[in-house]
Amino acid sequence: MKENGIENKGNRFSMWKLHLSVATVTLIPAAVGINYVAKAFAEGLKLPLWLGSLGTYLASMLAGPTAGAISGFINNIIYGLTLSPVSTVYSITSIAIGIVVGVLFNRGWFTNAKRVFVSAILIALTSAIISTPLNVIFWGGQTGIPWGDALFAGMIGNHINIWIASFTDEFVLDILDKVVVAYIAFFIYRQLPQRMINYFKDNQ
Amino acid sequence: MEIRDNSIQRIAQMHWYNFVDPVTKLLLALFLTMLSFDFTNLYFEAGLVLFSLMLLLLSRLSSATINAVSFCLFLIATMVLIQGLFYSGNIHPLFSVMRITFYREGFLYALTMSARILIIIFAIGFFMSTTTVSENAKYLESIGMPYKLVYLLMSVCYILPQIQQNMKKIQFAERARGINPQKTVTQKVRSILPILIPLIIKTFDQSINRSITLQLRGFDSPSRTLATPKYRYFQTKLSHYLLTLVTILLIGWKLWQIISKFL
Repeated sequence: MKENGIENKGNRFSMWKLHLSVATVTLIPAAVGINYVAKAFAEGLKLPLWLGSLGTYLASMLAGPTAGAISGFINNIIYGLTLSPVSTVYSITSIAIGIVVGVLFNRGWFTNAKRVFVSAILIALTSAIISTPLNVIFWGGQTGIPWGDALFAGMIGNHINIWIASFTDEFVLDILDKVVVAYIAFFIYRQLPQRMINYFKDNQ
Repeated sequence: MEIRDNSIQRIAQMHWYNFVDPVTKLLLALFLTMLSFDFTNLYFEAGLVLFSLMLLLLSRLSSATINAVSFCLFLIATMVLIQGLFYSGNIHPLFSVMRITFYREGFLYALTMSARILIIIFAIGFFMSTTTVSENAKYLESIGMPYKLVYLLMSVCYILPQIQQNMKKIQFAERARGINPQKTVTQKVRSILPILIPLIIKTFDQSINRSITLQLRGFDSPSRTLATPKYRYFQTKLSHYLLTLVTILLIGWKLWQIISKFL
């Protein structure tokens, strides 16, 4: 399938390969590094975004959902061990993001700007659904982002159920972040040299 | 007691925590976390916080742990504030400031949650400050973890500084070209791509080079030599089985507590 410069060579049978090739083994740490640096970069610019899943998106697009899921998982483990130990439990969310991006990309949902938007909403929904119970268990429903938590506090103050308040808090933050990250990943993927894309696809 | 590390010909001083293997340290962190989730008594939680803090203080208190604590303190403060004011189970007022009432139930709930977070930070901090990347890699491989997975986990720690260095170089080059610091959010978002695109292409290029090098050096070869762990650990199997068993029991008990509410 080829549309607007993005070609998806994968198929539904090959994308779930669990065998890690040497190319994938070296791609995953790079993706984790990109996640880490992109997050630090967003924090440095004081953006209302995390960008911490950019590497996971790219790993899923280049080497499939398994590589994306492992990138997301290791990213949270490393982040949890070095900066915020509670982040470790959010590795479940990162695994889900990696899988959803990989599947959507493989099915051609990253081929044009409109489809990327739909994909981003699905990814944000997945992320919010999985993160909400974790937020309730570990942070009493909060996300730790001041303006999202202000919304959460307002909803709790109006006696709205904690699960709905926490989901809204998470989804409002996720939708913005995941849409921006999806477009950045889409744009960056189009800029990657074809030999690079082929190398990771051929060596899966 | 001392140990001679032949690879670098130096004598390393042995501490008590060097006799505890990395997996036991991680299992201990998981066990303490599950204990804090199963027993919600505030005094018990305080005892667990003290125990994990002592564990950390008796080993090595690293700057990374202090950073993690300071990172979470703001969140803990907002949690105490929000739950104290709006927690659904709030009944008994604790104090009032300018007609705003702060409740006892929400305050205690937030304190319990904060204690759990501190236990996780201290227990993981103990693991982080008492183990090294190479020690973890050698040990994990020696207990049977696939070497590809070990490489994945450990290479991140070495690749990350390299990527950060590349980013600094690219940012410096962008500034040298006269790109000024961005002020509005739109300007900031637009400034992301000129830095991230070269950074990501360079990072993936280095990955391809690393992959070719690994293939040439026989990374996939079945006759690889296993690395020998640096230290001799105390009762590793016993502590693994014991901690795993107790943690599974605690998880089961917590699940039963949740399920029994719906029965």
